[in-house]
Amino acid sequence: MIASLWQYVLSGVVDGAIFALVAAGFVLIYQVTGLINFAQGEFAMIGAMTAASLATAGMPTPAAAGLAVLAAAVVGAICYLLAIRPARAATGVTLIFITLGLDVALRGLALFVWGTNPLSLNAFSSGNAIQIFGGALPPQALWVLGSDVVVFVALYLFFRHTYAGTAVRAAVANPPIASTFGIPLRTFAFWSFVVAAAIGGIGGVMIAPITSATYDMGLTLGLAGFVAAVLGGLDSLPGALLGGFVLGIVEHVAGGLWSTGWEQGVGFLILVLVLVLRPQGLLGRAARRA
Amino acid sequence: MTAPATAPAATLEVRSVTKRFGGVVAVDDVTFSARTGEVLGVMGPNGAGKTTLFNVISGVQRPTSGDVSLRGLPLTGRLVEDVASCGVTRTFQTPVMFWGLTVRESVEVALAAREFGGTYPPSPLRELVPSGLGTSGRLRARAELRERADAILTRAGIAPMADRATESLAFGEERLLELARALAVDPTVLLLDEPLSGLNPDEIEAVIASIRAARASGVAVLLVEHAVGELLAVADRVVVLDHGRMIAQGSPTQVAADPVVIDAYIGDELE
Repeated sequence: MIASLWQYVLSGVVDGAIFALVAAGFVLIYQVTGLINFAQGEFAMIGAMTAASLATAGMPTPAAAGLAVLAAAVVGAICYLLAIRPARAATGVTLIFITLGLDVALRGLALFVWGTNPLSLNAFSSGNAIQIFGGALPPQALWVLGSDVVVFVALYLFFRHTYAGTAVRAAVANPPIASTFGIPLRTFAFWSFVVAAAIGGIGGVMIAPITSATYDMGLTLGLAGFVAAVLGGLDSLPGALLGGFVLGIVEHVAGGLWSTGWEQGVGFLILVLVLVLRPQGLLGRAARRA
Repeated sequence: MTAPATAPAATLEVRSVTKRFGGVVAVDDVTFSARTGEVLGVMGPNGAGKTTLFNVISGVQRPTSGDVSLRGLPLTGRLVEDVASCGVTRTFQTPVMFWGLTVRESVEVALAAREFGGTYPPSPLRELVPSGLGTSGRLRARAELRERADAILTRAGIAPMADRATESLAFGEERLLELARALAVDPTVLLLDEPLSGLNPDEIEAVIASIRAARASGVAVLLVEHAVGELLAVADRVVVLDHGRMIAQGSPTQVAADPVVIDAYIGDELE
């Protein structure tokens, strides 16, 4: 029983690391633009599908992975320029519906381009499963966790140790006032979509060798990433990391102990509990005067 | 305080600016100029259109008609950030902080905005790599920016709170930081909206000293202030608004003695 529970936790950590990457995209865009981008999961799908199809066509895996992340970033840029920027004067609800439309459109496009068959991607490194206190993780799990470390450390360094990062934090704190100092809010909004899409793409590329890639995987990943982001706090990147791991572990433990049908249900139950007891999320800040 | 003997060229030109909100005329055909190295007081009762005028000058709102220019460069129609990049900076009636930043970071981000000008923000990669690997030029530039931020905080009298989060500041400290932050961008025109309200006498003295220092360094300061005595003491010239219209302009002595102004505003304030 204990051994099984430990295995569920380990598996949850791997999924949680992916959820955290998708959640980081949600948080990044929300912080900079105040917008919840429900198309975020599709960036992960584009990363996974592009990497898998390029690798299947014979491209070396590292090159396929790199191009896939680039493709996700380009799609993020196009989404912002074609769908979000022209409607920047619209209300928040309208913009949310635009992102929901983007989500459906990207999934439809993926269905058109790649079809319904799953695509596989080889693990980035071979070898036996890694044993940790009696539990086992596939070697790809190290790549997943490593990508979390790289992405979140890079985001930390950017926000805390660059003037551009400090300027983004100032813009997040008060966009109208930041603009009176010449801080370009539209440029930040554009790059938040590009970077969030790239991070989503990294998540998709990393998970593809474990789950394979399908045209509709973005829906599940997007929902999980959204729950993780709200769970951790929509204004907190560390919260996205924590929310991702909590959600991944809870889902796997619930799925293992009861039934896989319980996985998402329990995840959403935890979300409701957190929102009732701590509406700003686990690490988010309470609303303050602007 | 008297105006300079030979008035320098106008820095900021406000020409026939009108701003309507539906049927309400907030600013009505206002024309004036502000010169390099002078404090231009903007007086008027509540609702006279002073803050709307600042909003128009800083690009927050577009005028219904008329235009604003800075050294001949049209500002009207530009984005707020573009107007700021041209050298127009402002403060607000209620000081607005960048929550989540420290006091020093608040000034550093303003300094960096000025430092990097049109290329702002600087490339994050260009910044990250040197700070991580430690090339001497980059580190020196970073250290210099920090020293300049600390010097500004010292002049503003808030150096001891450099590492404090902005959320922890008292109201008066917020005002001092807001002014320090505005001066950090080395503005050509500085718009101050009631910078003395809510301050204690020591803080008022510090703010007035900062305003005089800014004037001495060549900044055109536009000062909206309800503390009439302090405004008349620090201003070189004054324009007076009432119901959106400019009803007088001149030296503080002329304006203080103008019967129209006394009737509309000063009389009430000085009673």
